[in-house]
Amino acid sequence: MKAIVIGAGLGGLLSAARLSKAGYQVDVFERLPITGGRFTNLRYKGFQLSSGAFHILPHGPAGPLAHLLKEVGADVKIVRSDITTVRIPLKKGSQDYEKGFKDISFTDFSTLLSHKDRLKIALLIVSTRKNRPTGSSLQAWIRSQFKDEWLVKFADAFCGWSLSMKSNEVPVEEIFEIIENMYRFGGPGVPIGGCKGVIDALESVIAAHDGKIHTETEVSKIFVENGKAVGVLVGEEAYKADLVISNLGHAATACLCEEVLSGEKDSGYLKILETLKPSAGIKICLAADEPLVGHSGVLLTPYAKRVNGINEVTQIDPGLAPPGKHLTMSHQYVAPENVKNLEAEIELGLQDLKEIFPNKKYEVLLTQSYHDNWPVNRAASGTDPGNETPIPGLYVVGDGAKGKGGIEVEGVALGVAATMKKIIG
Amino acid sequence: MKINDNCVGCGQCASFCKKGAIEVKGKARATDACIDCGICVLYCPVKAIEVLV
Repeated sequence: MKAIVIGAGLGGLLSAARLSKAGYQVDVFERLPITGGRFTNLRYKGFQLSSGAFHILPHGPAGPLAHLLKEVGADVKIVRSDITTVRIPLKKGSQDYEKGFKDISFTDFSTLLSHKDRLKIALLIVSTRKNRPTGSSLQAWIRSQFKDEWLVKFADAFCGWSLSMKSNEVPVEEIFEIIENMYRFGGPGVPIGGCKGVIDALESVIAAHDGKIHTETEVSKIFVENGKAVGVLVGEEAYKADLVISNLGHAATACLCEEVLSGEKDSGYLKILETLKPSAGIKICLAADEPLVGHSGVLLTPYAKRVNGINEVTQIDPGLAPPGKHLTMSHQYVAPENVKNLEAEIELGLQDLKEIFPNKKYEVLLTQSYHDNWPVNRAASGTDPGNETPIPGLYVVGDGAKGKGGIEVEGVALGVAATMKKIIG
Repeated sequence: MKINDNCVGCGQCASFCKKGAIEVKGKARATDACIDCGICVLYCPVKAIEVLV
């Protein structure tokens, strides 16, 4: 059996590794000279920056991605982060960090609530595990239960950091699935070697099973015969296969076979594609001699103007920076209406960092923004139509087709695992 | 070198530029150090860089 994978990003390589291990003859076609897509390292001034994702697996060594890596035999060491903290103003009532701040543990977020609300949240934590709220955004649900703006700020920082969305854009069902996954798999971890540590390990698996990765090779068409995907066109050459897996997201995949996807038969699917919106975000990479965050987990910053959270990967893997240096990266959500004002958004992020790290010395290495055709996520979490397409034998994986409740690359892994279950069983 | 509207500002070009000639803030910009070698064109994920001939 032959399989073709379009795109050598994380979703494509995970699929290729799994299929080649199952005995498929796999060819991966990648347009760029490098593999890994938005999940690999970019070497810059001696630091290992990233092409997109932070060097983090949201559920660490026990999560869906770690599980899938183990299943395919990819040799990656993933180290669990020690703690997630939240920076809050020192003085109650302050709306920023200017007059001082303190860090509390993520799990202590409810200590900032009134006694009554703390009691209510304790009850909700139990009751919502059985009866999950549905049918609204996370923010609308919070406001229906509490009159407390801190909870909204906290939710915005968490959603901004983990999904690059605002709490009023995230379906409440998606957040409760994420919370359940946090109980199930635990918090984040860092792969040694960063994102590229994972990509290299997957490539070794693919090579060991005689799979081939063709870089600088662009697929221009997906062939469909008798309603089924049967191969792809690369330049002038046709490659035949029993199944085609696209790592490009649903919309770009549909463009490769648009003449087959017209008409009434697929109008439902095509309508969903029109509603898919990529999420936007900004990453600011800092270099410092002294630690800025000071621990190996995430620092959420709900009282910053733009920055949602920060992590310092060198706390776990010092190899991601030159000797004696730290690599610290912040993420901020960008609202759709602000994508055209990215410079101003970056400026606000840089101001935030000055407030978050006063009296600390650091250098801004690079500001990186992601939107539209190279976004944070090709489809905002909880909105994509899954991994199947109207064309049998054609599947979509990657950040445009995640599983439910999967944060970032964990969602990519859940989507790939679900797809492989359909194909291999 | 011309950078078109496809550019999202991801900075991938800057990391592969051998001359350190690309600045990024919301969008990439080539500085005077650019020698039009065209290496960055290959690495741009959104086909935003055109080398002028």
